[in-house]
This record gives sequence, C-alpha cells and structure tokens, in this order.
Amino acid sequence: MDFQILDSIPELSNYKSFTDRYFTKRYILNYGGIENNDIMLMFHSNRIMLLSLAPSHFFFKKNLGYSINFNTGKVDRLSNSVKGKGKKGGQQLEPNSTLCQILFEDDTSFKVPSCIKGSLIEINESLVKYPELLKEMPDSDGFIAIILSSITISEAKKSEWLTPEEYLALLKN
Amino acid sequence: MDQQKAIFKLCKGLGCCDSCCLRYLGIRYQNAYENAQTFCLKFQDKPANAEKVDQNKPTDISPPSSTSENTVTSETNVSTDDKPTENVTNDESNNVNPGDDTKTDIKMEEDTSNKEDTDSSNGNVATSNGNGSRPAKRRKRDICTSCLGLLQKDGWPECNAAVKEVLDKKQYDSKTFGCGLSAPIATILREKVICLKIKEAFPDFDERSITTLKESWKWAYGPQLAQHIGIALDSGSVSPLLIVLNMEYPDDLQELEILKTLSPDLFESRSRQRKRFTVEFTRRSVEQALEGATLEALTALRWGSVRSADSAASCVSVVCTRTPLYLGGRYIKLSRELPQTPWLLGGKRMMESSVQDIIFEPLAKAYGMSEADADHRLKFMSAGREDVDVRCLGDGRPFAIEITDPRRELTAGELQQICEAVSSTGQVVLKKLVPVTKEDLTLLKSGEENKTKTYEALCIKLAHSKSSDTTQNGTTPITVTDEDISRINSYRNTPEGAPERIALTQKTPIRVLHRRPLLARTRHILDITASKVTGHPQLLVIRIRTTAGTYVKEFVHGELRRTAPSLGDAIGAPVDILALDVTNVQLDWPNKQ
Ligand SMILES: [Zn+2]
Repeated sequence: MDFQILDSIPELSNYKSFTDRYFTKRYILNYGGIENNDIMLMFHSNRIMLLSLAPSHFFFKKNLGYSINFNTGKVDRLSNSVKGKGKKGGQQLEPNSTLCQILFEDDTSFKVPSCIKGSLIEINESLVKYPELLKEMPDSDGFIAIILSSITISEAKKSEWLTPEEYLALLKN
Repeated sequence: MDQQKAIFKLCKGLGCCDSCCLRYLGIRYQNAYENAQTFCLKFQDKPANAEKVDQNKPTDISPPSSTSENTVTSETNVSTDDKPTENVTNDESNNVNPGDDTKTDIKMEEDTSNKEDTDSSNGNVATSNGNGSRPAKRRKRDICTSCLGLLQKDGWPECNAAVKEVLDKKQYDSKTFGCGLSAPIATILREKVICLKIKEAFPDFDERSITTLKESWKWAYGPQLAQHIGIALDSGSVSPLLIVLNMEYPDDLQELEILKTLSPDLFESRSRQRKRFTVEFTRRSVEQALEGATLEALTALRWGSVRSADSAASCVSVVCTRTPLYLGGRYIKLSRELPQTPWLLGGKRMMESSVQDIIFEPLAKAYGMSEADADHRLKFMSAGREDVDVRCLGDGRPFAIEITDPRRELTAGELQQICEAVSSTGQVVLKKLVPVTKEDLTLLKSGEENKTKTYEALCIKLAHSKSSDTTQNGTTPITVTDEDISRINSYRNTPEGAPERIALTQKTPIRVLHRRPLLARTRHILDITASKVTGHPQLLVIRIRTTAGTYVKEFVHGELRRTAPSLGDAIGAPVDILALDVTNVQLDWPNKQ
C-alpha cells in the first residue's frame, strides 16, 4: 500500500474559501431603517454564527480613517467571557443590542447591531490591534463577533434573511 | 463443645436446616456444608433423623474427626423429649389459612412471567416453573426458617435446571465458573431474630461470628451445581464466568412490612422519596433498620421468634456473564468520507458508515451477535480520532474493542479473517487484531495525551507574499517560491535548541465549539518541513509533527486568526488547507507479545 497526500489534489477551480466551505451566509439590508446598514451572518452547521458587515455596507464606501469602540456605554464587549461546554455567562444580546461602534475621523459614527437574540460568545479581538481587517477582510478575519442563539431562532432567521443569491439579485437592481 | 451443642439444639428448635445450624455455629469450611447432615452428627446428642441413619452404614455417618465424641454422644443417650423440634413453630404455622397457599402460588407464577420478559433479552432466562413442572410442594415444617430452603437439597434440582437452560443457550467456553446469589431480603430479618434468640440464651454469642448465607450457599450448592453443568467451581474473582441465581420468596415484602413500624423514620423518608427509591426494601435499608433491634421490639411485632415459612424461596432467574474480552489493533482509514464512530446529530445518523461500524460487522458475525446486540456489547476505544475528511495512513491509529459477556475467545484464525473482511471494504485496513488486557487500555488512554502525531497536509497559497518584490500585480499568478519553502523550513518562534519549533495559541475551533468549552490553549509543533508540488505552482505539501491536541487544519489556515501564529505567518501570505492525512500516531500498540 502506498498512499500519498498527492492522491488528493482537488480541482482547484472548485476551491472555496474557509467561510464558504463551512458556513451558510445570510444577509440583512438596511437594518434599523438605515440605508445600506447591511449585515452578513454566517451560520456554521453546528449553529454557531459569525456576524460581519455585508459587502454592500456604506462603511466600505467611506474613505475615512476610523476606530472601533467595543464599549457600548452599558457594557464592555471585550470583557465578555463564557464558561464550560454550555458557554454560560455570555452577554445577552437582543436584535437591537449594539456590538460595537465605528467612529470616523470626521466625528460621524454608526453602530453595529446584533440582529438576533442570543448570547455573545466571542468578540474578534484581532480588530483591536488591527482595525483595518474590518475593511480589508470582512468575509473572514474581519468578522465582528461569534454569537450563539437558540435552535428555533437560528432556524427561523436562516429562512427569513436573504440567501446569497437573493442578496446579489437585490444588489443588481 | 457443650455450648455448641446447645446452640445447635436451639437452632434446630427454631426450625433451622442442618447447614444453617452450622452457620450459626460459625463453621467455615466447604466440606462441612457439602455434607451438612453427616457433619452435624457431632453436634447432636442423638442422630436427628434416626430412621435414615439406621439405613446407612454406621461408618458413613461418623463425622470426619470425632469418633470419640460420637461415642460420648451415644452413651449420653439424652431423653427423647429432645427430638428435633420443628414443632416449636408448627403451632403458629398451623394457624395459617390453607387458602393462602394457593394465593401465594399464583403470585409466584405472575412474578416469574414478568421476570421472563425482562431477562430474556440478554439471553439470561427466567425459570419456567409456572407451567406445572415445579416439584411437589414441601411440607411447611421442612422449609428452613432461616435460609428459606436455599441450603436445602430439595430445591436444588430446580435451580440446576434453570442454570443449565441459560448455559445451553449461551454456550460459554469457560471451564470454570463462580457463583453468586441474590437471596430474599426476608432472610436478613429471619437471621436477626435467630441471632437474638441465641443471644438471649447465650449472652456471649457474637452475631458477627456467623457464616454468611452467601458463603455457605456457595459451599453447599456450588459443588453439586458444578457436577450438574460439568465445569469446575472456582472463586468468582478468578473465574471469567459468573452465574448468579436470583431467588425470590413470595412473602418477602409482607414479612418486611413490620420494619416500617420498627424503624418508621427510615422508611417514611424513603417512601416520601419514592420516585428516587423505587425499591423500598433494599439489603442496606433492611440491615440499617434491624441494626439495633431488640427481641422486645420484635416481639411486639409478632416476631418474638422466627416464624415458619409457608413456601420456600425459588429461583426466578439466572444471569450468566463472562468478564469482558479486549482486542487491540491499529486501523488505517483510506476514506475522506468516513467518520471514526457513527456520527449522530439529534439521534439521527448523519453518515451511513464509520470505522467502528466496518470493524464491528465481521466481529459481531463471528460472535453471532445481532446488530442491536452488537450495539451494546461492543465498545470502540481509540487513541484520539481524526476528522471525517482526514485519512489515517502509515501504521494506522491504535484502537481497542471491549466485548461484553463474550461467549468465547476467538482464535487467531478467526481474528485474521475479521481483519481480511474489514480490509476488503477498501475504506478501512486492519493488519492484525490481537487479544489485549484491561490493563493495556490505560496505555491507549495515556497515549491520547502523550503521543505525538505526524501529518501530511496539502496546502494552497492564496495571495502574493507581502514581503516579495513589488513588481507583482493582480495578473501575476500566485506561486509557492523557494523562499516560501525555506522560510517554512526554518521558521520557529521558540528559543533556538528548544525541542519544539513553534508554540501556538489555539482558541477552541468553531467547528467543535458547540461541544467544547471556549479556551485558548498552547500547543506545539515539534517539526515542520515544506515542499513544492510539481505541476501545481500554487500548492505546497507540509510534513508536520505535533504534540497531542494540536489542531493542524487550524494551524494551516489560522481560522480567522483564532490560531496564531499560522502557516501563513511564516510566509507572509494567506494559506489554506486542501487535504490532510495522519501519517503516524506514535504509540507502541498493541504491545509486542
Ligand atoms: Zn437453612
């Protein structure tokens, strides 16, 4: 028997990125009635969710320096911690809870909403040191938060929000 | 000796059988119980069963070492008033309404049929004494008031038949057996009353000195069971085969009912917690209730002396089990669509097969197990696991199988056939399967924590390296350069000379985060080398040796920077993984024999 890793070279044109391989993407447009306040949620098959800015978010058109504030005034998202297999103790999120605030150098700002009721598992700490990831890699290393919601809510939202096909179709119009 | 004789007489008077008399005398050797009737002669002033004894040759009835005592006995020639006095308790038992007997019989049969339902699933059958095959009912006064007949020969054929039935069905290859007894709990109450009666007459009598019912039952019943089933009796801790007889006494609960009055606190709290204590009377609770009981207290409950028994305890089920066997081996997994064990999501099978399924199938067949049977009698253990899409090559991954209640050991030839059947699937290859011991399993488990593993990974470079010259632009193809390779081959973030080259911080990967706590762990890469792939300029292969628990896929792509550093950090460009093989799990398994 002689098996080698080179037996396993796939068709490279079928290559899918890490998030495309393992996550189902969903989009929400104009969240909270704010134009192009567009959010992307990525559902792992185990129900864990990543929240990012959607490519059509107005943030990407603004060519200004910015900083990210994870302190909502009520809680510091960076102090979130969860314990055990059950991920107990995570900050509780309502759809309108603010995950973070983006402050532009012209003193304008916007808030990133949680979009879903659930529990905060993890904030992307890389954004503290490398805020540019938010702009450069929104689809991967620039994600904002990991959230866990109930099966019922996750499933309901997954079917309610826009699929990638629906999202692209709407963007073209 | 005089006191022993007096105690013997007292026990006889209370309705004890010969063996039970010996128990209360604290006699502790097998021979005594194997031939209790003969052995008892030395404690009797006059042979208990005069007619029977007369029929035998006198030499046969002499106790092994006490001819002189025997002479004394016959000389003393005690008055005939002292004849065996089962009668003491007869008055009481005669009051029992004869109708009760029939009622009791029906109840017994019902109990028996229930047992049959529950026990037959694992091949251990209940006795079928409900269909009229039961031996003629013994007269009440013959049933020992202490052991309820367990030590009396008349009940044994029924027990023997029940054991034989199970053994014939299960076909063990064991040449020895150990036996165990589940006795009616009422025997504890009865024993207590008898002890209190002895203590009343002989204040220095120590109830802790008596021989337990279980022990004497093994000595009395065990040897003749051995003869009946044709294998040797051995200690339960030595023989792999254990035969347990469940004996039930129809009036058990009824007799124990008085304990609720005797020890109301104990059973009140227990019945309040009924949901938790489904069995109200356990050996433990009954022993507790009787611990400080006095004869006065028991007299008030009409147990001032031991009562006669309306019926003997009978065998309701026999459970035979053989100690587990263990097999060890190493499996090679050639499929990227095969989980190690059945992948269940909400009780549903997500993939058709698994390494475990493929190995269990021919093994179950060799043992004649049904699929359901195999499900709970075969247990798969391994030194770690690989993902569904990861192959395990080289010598394979160490694993073991625990076989519960095996009927026999498989031959080397059969084990080889199992390996061949597994390998013929093309998905899993087994080279050998050998018997291992339970102690060996600790090596397998410790291996999970201590072993190092070697992998090969096929990787893709996703962008130009940041450090490379600026002449690159969007149209230049991305290629793995010699510089990339040498950077990986010399990459380290630990002090020069340290045994590990790269120390990683890995957050629990998202893919397992639903079932594991979120933690940032430090893991190590001991060695890593990279090479280009001919004909595929964007690809590279890495060979990597890690400590246990390192997530290799996450090291390659960095998992959204949740693992740092990642392979991409070594070359200053994002990298992803396309395929992963385990090439070596370092563990000496199964042990060379
Ligand atoms: Zn007895």
